[in-house]
Amino acid sequence: MLVYVLRRVLLSIPVIFVVLLITFTLGFFAPGDPLKIQFDQQQYQTDPVILARLRHLYGLDRPFWVQFGDYVWSLMRGDWGESLTQGTEAVWPQVKRTFPVTFQIGAAATFLLIVVGIPMGVLAAVKQNSWVDYWIVSFSIAVRSVHIIVLAPMLMIIFVLWLGVMDTPVGWKGIFHTNAIMPVVLMALGPLLIVVRQTRTGVLEVIGENYVRTARAKGLRERRVISGHMMKNALTPVVTSLGLISSGLVTGSLFVELIFAIPGFAGMGIAAFRARDYPVILATTMVAATLIIVANLVVDLCYGLLDPRVRFE
Amino acid sequence: MRQQGVTDEAFEFEEIRQRSLWLDAFERLVRNKTAMMGLVIAIAVILAALLGGWIAPKDYLKTNINRIAEPPSNDHYLGTDLVGRDVFSRLLHGARTAVFVAVVTIVIGNAIGITVGAVSGYVGGKVDDFLMRVTDVLFSFPDLLLAAFISATVRNPVVEQMSKLRAATGWAVLEETIYIDYLILFGALAMVNWPGTARLIRGQILSLRERDFIRAEIALGVSGWMIVRKHLIPNAIAPVIVGISLSVGAVMLSESSLSFLGFGIQPPGASWGNMINSNLALWRIYPWLVAIPGIWLAIAVFGFNFLGDGLNDALNPRQIRR
Repeated sequence: MLVYVLRRVLLSIPVIFVVLLITFTLGFFAPGDPLKIQFDQQQYQTDPVILARLRHLYGLDRPFWVQFGDYVWSLMRGDWGESLTQGTEAVWPQVKRTFPVTFQIGAAATFLLIVVGIPMGVLAAVKQNSWVDYWIVSFSIAVRSVHIIVLAPMLMIIFVLWLGVMDTPVGWKGIFHTNAIMPVVLMALGPLLIVVRQTRTGVLEVIGENYVRTARAKGLRERRVISGHMMKNALTPVVTSLGLISSGLVTGSLFVELIFAIPGFAGMGIAAFRARDYPVILATTMVAATLIIVANLVVDLCYGLLDPRVRFE
Repeated sequence: MRQQGVTDEAFEFEEIRQRSLWLDAFERLVRNKTAMMGLVIAIAVILAALLGGWIAPKDYLKTNINRIAEPPSNDHYLGTDLVGRDVFSRLLHGARTAVFVAVVTIVIGNAIGITVGAVSGYVGGKVDDFLMRVTDVLFSFPDLLLAAFISATVRNPVVEQMSKLRAATGWAVLEETIYIDYLILFGALAMVNWPGTARLIRGQILSLRERDFIRAEIALGVSGWMIVRKHLIPNAIAPVIVGISLSVGAVMLSESSLSFLGFGIQPPGASWGNMINSNLALWRIYPWLVAIPGIWLAIAVFGFNFLGDGLNDALNPRQIRR
């Protein structure tokens, strides 16, 4: 299995390289000169001589392949370049500062998805076609139609203005501060539909199987039948849709960080996109691509965990 | 005499079978209450989009510094926003944006998707492999991130080309920068929209080609055009219609969320998404300025999603809903 993991990691290097190349090319040929944008924003007079000197300073006047090669080379040495907008702060410290924030919120949301979404799906399947099933399914479909950008302000109006049970949840004060409750819940709501539906489908698929009937016939308690016998097989559809779930979490983090003014990784990425801050855009794309690859690897390993017939070769 | 009766019967039987596909689907749709509710909402939103400029009591762009952030009143039905624009008129214009973007995006996205999917399914081999790898790559990005990325990178080139075009032709239409926002949105959203359709069509064609009833017709010597018209199209079109109706709500949400993030319609242009964003900072003081466009957006998307689900049930009666 170690060999398998190692081979997957090695295989992912060309993929990351291609992603870098595509992003770099798009950034290079989209003629929005980052320096000119910056000057226009600050309404300075653009002196062509100074502009040329600055372009030379940042190395923006060199040919495409030289710039790309230089970038990859310094990347390998751990130098991620300097941001063009954030007062020329180096990119790596920015990533190091913002990523843990987003990661903590994402992890908390994932935890919430597991402890809420999976039991809801199981309950809906076990009580199929009852009012419990009906309400759980309708609730998760309703969540699909009401976007975070609608839900977040509405919840704030209800909880902060009407009920007055909490302060305005703005800024980042650690994952255990009450400010983190609303961002985490909102981020989990998006992918909740997928988790509930997939768990429900998975459980319904195995509920009529012979081995489940055997487990019941042995006299096991229903709880034991579900947790010990049905869950492993029922979770396969959920694991398969892990890609969709993580993409939902990423999208959620964009809005959550913008709405609640959380200094996170997604917010940094969006700001960089807007300002065409190439080094930061490249860094965010690369971290995101790496994350997707790691997530896919975890998914494949999870299959093996759930189904002992899967072999890693 | 007897001979006559038999042909009559056969004729009638044929008649019923011919109209049953769409009529049955329609009857199933009408019986579905949530789908009918969705239809009413969808029609209301589309009417608001078509007649918005005509119903709107005020100019949606006209600011009035003396009357900012007024609560709903007889003069301004839903109040005014932070620069004194009429919220009701802006909402109607936002409906226009939402429907316009959804329709154009879906037309472009489906045109690309159906072409790519059909080519991929028919030609097969290396072409199929290549096209499907492209959709794989596009699928591996989160939709919204990809759309935001496209919007951010193509904005400047498009703006430049448009100003060149204006200088060359002198068309006054191009002076309105808001058209550029729409153009970019169409491109960005169609780009994330087409891979799904392409996969769907490819799958349909691959599975239909191998079905027994198509093979039987080929064996019977039915002409190719007849097979395509009578069997391939009716069988492949239902999932496309369902896909389109399910994606209207999704595209509307994408448009609003892109505008919310600042990659879609820029103020002063009106979109439900940017209305929420530009009023979000002062939600404590003027909560209704955020709540009103939010509720509209939610209801509209609800309507289109209900309708899409209803169409799905009506056109796929064989699908077992569990």
